[in-house]
Amino acid sequence: MAQVPLAIVSHKRQVCSLYKRALRNLEAWYDRRNVYRYRAVQLRARFDENRNKDLGEGIRLLACGQKELFETKHFQPKNFANSAGGCAFEREVIPPDWLLDYWHPLEKAQYPEYFAKREQRKKEFVVWWEKQYGKPDPKDLGHH
Amino acid sequence: MSFTQIARQCSRFAAALSTARLASSSLVGQTQTRMMHRIVMPAMISSQKFHVRQYSAKSTIEDIKFRVLKVVSAYDKQSRCGWQMRKYSAKPPLSLKLINERVLLVLKLYDKIDPSKLNVESHFINDLGLDSLDHVEVIMAMEDEFGFEIPDSDAEKLLKPADIIKYVADKEDVYE
Repeated sequence: MAQVPLAIVSHKRQVCSLYKRALRNLEAWYDRRNVYRYRAVQLRARFDENRNKDLGEGIRLLACGQKELFETKHFQPKNFANSAGGCAFEREVIPPDWLLDYWHPLEKAQYPEYFAKREQRKKEFVVWWEKQYGKPDPKDLGHH
Repeated sequence: MSFTQIARQCSRFAAALSTARLASSSLVGQTQTRMMHRIVMPAMISSQKFHVRQYSAKSTIEDIKFRVLKVVSAYDKQSRCGWQMRKYSAKPPLSLKLINERVLLVLKLYDKIDPSKLNVESHFINDLGLDSLDHVEVIMAMEDEFGFEIPDSDAEKLLKPADIIKYVADKEDVYE
């Protein structure tokens, strides 16, 4: 859920994001590290040139930069293994914690110590919640 | 950090240093200056001369080499970590101490950070004097070091080395 945009993204963050994507794009094009660094320093100099421009000009430049990035995008960009587009993306599925609550009692009985502790921790969590956020409103309890 | 990466970091300094020289000399005829990513766009950079920001007063190759080698030799990986090289099929066993050392090593090797000022609690922007684009570069170096992507929304909260260590430990499920 970390990627869901919940607020208006500021201009500064958009520029940072553009810079990062542009660098990754360069990294995909130039596999020799020293050549990549040369291009990266040039890219940085282009960003630094427009450091003190006003916001209107900045927005125009940002749009230009995004267009340029789109037009020069690599056909097969490198991705990290576990991120979207990577070779191991969603390979390992981690089941959510609440799944353990739906085990059959006979299954639970095979691990008595763990489930006793789990019940204890649930109670402690409720106490912590009420201390942190107060008692829940009775209206909000249960389904409609 | 593998030796390959250390070598890459070194070449990074060399590239950063030689940029001014390369930009002023003629760009034609060198194989490494082919603009591979500019298939669509015309080459607009080669005609311009670039001004590159200098961060430290000392910028000779020898000084940089000395600094990098000092940082690298201070981090004696083989005796500390117990593994000789990074195995790409399996992760090295991470611990909080190891994450701490690797994060600090990457930051010490970054040319815009003064290693003497750096500690775990120093703020990148206020204490170390980086700007937001440098912060993006730091986060990218951390992504490369630990091999997973850090989304922008998380990256903007990682303003201290301690935050990065905690974030990596959370992601890798390391708690001791």
